[in-house]
Amino acid sequence: MQVGLKIWRYDASTGRRALKEYELDAPEEATLLDCLDLIKDRQDGTLAYRKSCRMMICGSCGMRMDGGAVLACCTPMLEIARSGHVPTISAMGNLPVVKDLVVDMEPFWTKFKAMKPWLQPGYVEPPEGKEHLITQPEMNVIHKESLCINCGCCVSECNAMDSDPEFLGPQALAKGMRFVGDPRDAAAVERLEAYSGEHGIWECTRCYFCNERCPKGVDPRDAIAKLGAEAVRLGIDRDMGAKHAKWFVTSAKTTGWLRETELVPKTQGIVRSIKDTKFAMGLARKGKVPFPFPQHVAKDVGESRALYDLVKTQGRDGATGIVQGEKALARLGHGFHDEGRDPYGPGSFPRPFVPEEEATS
Amino acid sequence: MRAAIEAHDAGADVAIVSKLHPTRSHSGAAEGGINAALGNAAEDSPETHAYDTVKGSDYLGDQDSIEIFTREAPGDIYQLEHWGAFFSRREDGKLAQRPFGAAGSPRTIYAADITGHVLIQVLYEQLVKRDITVYEEYFAWKLVVDGGRCTGVISWDLLHGGLKTICAGTVVLATGGAGRLYRATTNAYACTGDGMAMALRAGLPLKDMEFMQFHPTTMYPSGILITEGCRGEGGFLINKDGERFMKRYAPNAMELASRDVVSRSEQTEIDAGRGVNGSVFLDLRHLGAEKIIERLPGSRELAMTYAAIDPIYDPIPVRPGAHYHMGGVETDSDGATELEGLYAAGEVACVSVHGANRLGGNSLMETITFGRRAGQAAAEAALAAGKPTAVPESAERDAERELKDLLARSGGERPWQVRDELGSSMLENFGVFRRGDKMEAQLELLAGLRERYATVRVEDKGEVFNSDLTQAIELGYLLDLASCMLTAGVARTESRGAHARPSDYPDRDDENFLKHSISRWRDGGPELTYKEVRMTRWEPQERKY
Repeated sequence: MQVGLKIWRYDASTGRRALKEYELDAPEEATLLDCLDLIKDRQDGTLAYRKSCRMMICGSCGMRMDGGAVLACCTPMLEIARSGHVPTISAMGNLPVVKDLVVDMEPFWTKFKAMKPWLQPGYVEPPEGKEHLITQPEMNVIHKESLCINCGCCVSECNAMDSDPEFLGPQALAKGMRFVGDPRDAAAVERLEAYSGEHGIWECTRCYFCNERCPKGVDPRDAIAKLGAEAVRLGIDRDMGAKHAKWFVTSAKTTGWLRETELVPKTQGIVRSIKDTKFAMGLARKGKVPFPFPQHVAKDVGESRALYDLVKTQGRDGATGIVQGEKALARLGHGFHDEGRDPYGPGSFPRPFVPEEEATS
Repeated sequence: MRAAIEAHDAGADVAIVSKLHPTRSHSGAAEGGINAALGNAAEDSPETHAYDTVKGSDYLGDQDSIEIFTREAPGDIYQLEHWGAFFSRREDGKLAQRPFGAAGSPRTIYAADITGHVLIQVLYEQLVKRDITVYEEYFAWKLVVDGGRCTGVISWDLLHGGLKTICAGTVVLATGGAGRLYRATTNAYACTGDGMAMALRAGLPLKDMEFMQFHPTTMYPSGILITEGCRGEGGFLINKDGERFMKRYAPNAMELASRDVVSRSEQTEIDAGRGVNGSVFLDLRHLGAEKIIERLPGSRELAMTYAAIDPIYDPIPVRPGAHYHMGGVETDSDGATELEGLYAAGEVACVSVHGANRLGGNSLMETITFGRRAGQAAAEAALAAGKPTAVPESAERDAERELKDLLARSGGERPWQVRDELGSSMLENFGVFRRGDKMEAQLELLAGLRERYATVRVEDKGEVFNSDLTQAIELGYLLDLASCMLTAGVARTESRGAHARPSDYPDRDDENFLKHSISRWRDGGPELTYKEVRMTRWEPQERKY
């Protein structure tokens, strides 16, 4: 197949950037990484990108295609080539570019290390020096977080990090959840305290770009939500983000509505809210602030309260109450393109048989 | 990483030099699991594990090392679990164990089918905990030998450019295998035998280089690995008619015979025209969607991405592909090599526990158990030796000059054609089946490739992330290793484990070849000698599965 690629080249020695276009002939099964290899071998040996396993487990080849992060090794080119589209390839976002498609991962690893990413055992003792006794469902709480390959695709797309480069970010926080949710870890409270500070859990803008772009179905945004829920459950709720979240629950439980007028003082506290009075008055003049009295109670508030009670009676406070990202789960299962098809039906591969059995039957 | 952790805990000042970030190493791609006789799923013992390993090795493994290996493995597994490894569990909360090829008991501990990934993460976590220095993306190029000792490594700093010399009391090689010698391989681009070649060039012996394991289930056409765990969970191998052909080759173990046996059976089917596109099929359909998604999600993901096959509905096209090098730098069971101050562990080393054929699940365990032992021994030796001596200036000057010459070259061809021809011809002439005349032809071809390599041109002349340069150096490593493998292969006129010569020497010859081959580089080529196998309690017997 004929493939066209536009690649943002960056020369570190001169600081010059240039968008270069390449055309190449590649086999139909070629991935983006295969195409880059063909360019490097046969057209331009100076093209720089990272690669190693070419089977989406080492996390080396994160880059952007048409502005969104991908792993080059699991991006098939056939459909793109057929459509005639010439995608633009560039280095990942939110990290300094070193050369062409290679970024400096140092800030990424610094945040990773800030999570104290190692098990602090002691919560339960393993019997006789053997393994801890833990059931699979207990471990499954952190199943998705444990899939992370540190490729940086989520960090590349993180909007919160775009505005605050010091934000711990989706990868580091997902790694944090991997330990907070581990039934063997004894440091959940200390961790949640640390992760709840400035640049922590509550700084996430919930844009879900990380979930969208993670090639492994880790769903970092869901991990951050789980951290938040665990923090609130354990009473670590001094941050405005935590108060904000708590008020959502209270408000929905009591009246079935989000009472925005009360949301501001509940989140920011009375003193800061008074400072914002002028701003609020302006909003009110334009009719943007609903009058708080008398309290407007939703017609079906009973449903909202029943939902709240259900979560409580099921004991799904904290991380276990966070619904897993359905989309990512579907991606993990890769959907069922052939759902309902009989694997042995007409047109399928023959049913296996053992030669001797066949001979005697 | 395992060696670094142990050396650190033993009190040494440790640094890791790696051409990749540590979590990007190819151990992370190991899928199926890691063997230790815990006896969680059925009765098992280190002795049974040792016997299976000896038999699997076609009696070429050193039995004293194998006994150490299987005895210490369970403790190492418990330690990994205490460090936080995310292993799969049984209903009673213990670690789950699955059946694997040629194993007398379900012995393979696993984390779904991403076991290597889970282990590499936990080791890196422990590395971060200890704040061990890592020289990331430093490409190790030369071992420094001074006064009969290994005193450091000269490396190329990929990210910033420039040669960097690291002095050390002791050096542990843990650089993995050389699967990139073959076009069809499960190995990463990084698996270019760097450590083996560096040791060879420093005058060290490589052991059993003719034994390259071909994994029976690598996907067509990419060569990407589909784990043995698929067969462990009950998967079938079938030919184009749907016949479970293993019945004719290993009537008892069927799909779970040892890897050399299964690979040969597949190749026989393919050669007899009972395959499609040079492949047979791995059929998981009967396992059902639920089991496939729970136990083998990674394999399904790989099949869907790289072969456009959903194994719930269709069988996966697979063929034998180069997977693991049983040979490597000769070491004792503490990882020590012939050169004082130099140690090796993992696939780069040949202890040897795998002999002529490795059992699935034994390689991850080897990296852990012998990584730990090598780290311990290297730390003790370094502490005893005192402060490392400075690397002689001449060594740095020579390296600098050699690098300049390589970069200054112009006019020659780019390395990729040499690389591709090497990969295709090795598969053709030194693959699952070998034959005297084909190996001789390959040696000749290799001489031509070496000649062409001597003039290859590096196009990137820059300092920053010059992978053009490192890839050219890696090709040189591969060519040296290919010479050793071929020379040892031609000389071994028998069939043993992964070295199968059905058309000229179909039988095992214990009288003449129950011994390790030893290759050294002398006057521009490998020189071959032999060394006895260390036996303790198991006499060679006929191998049947």
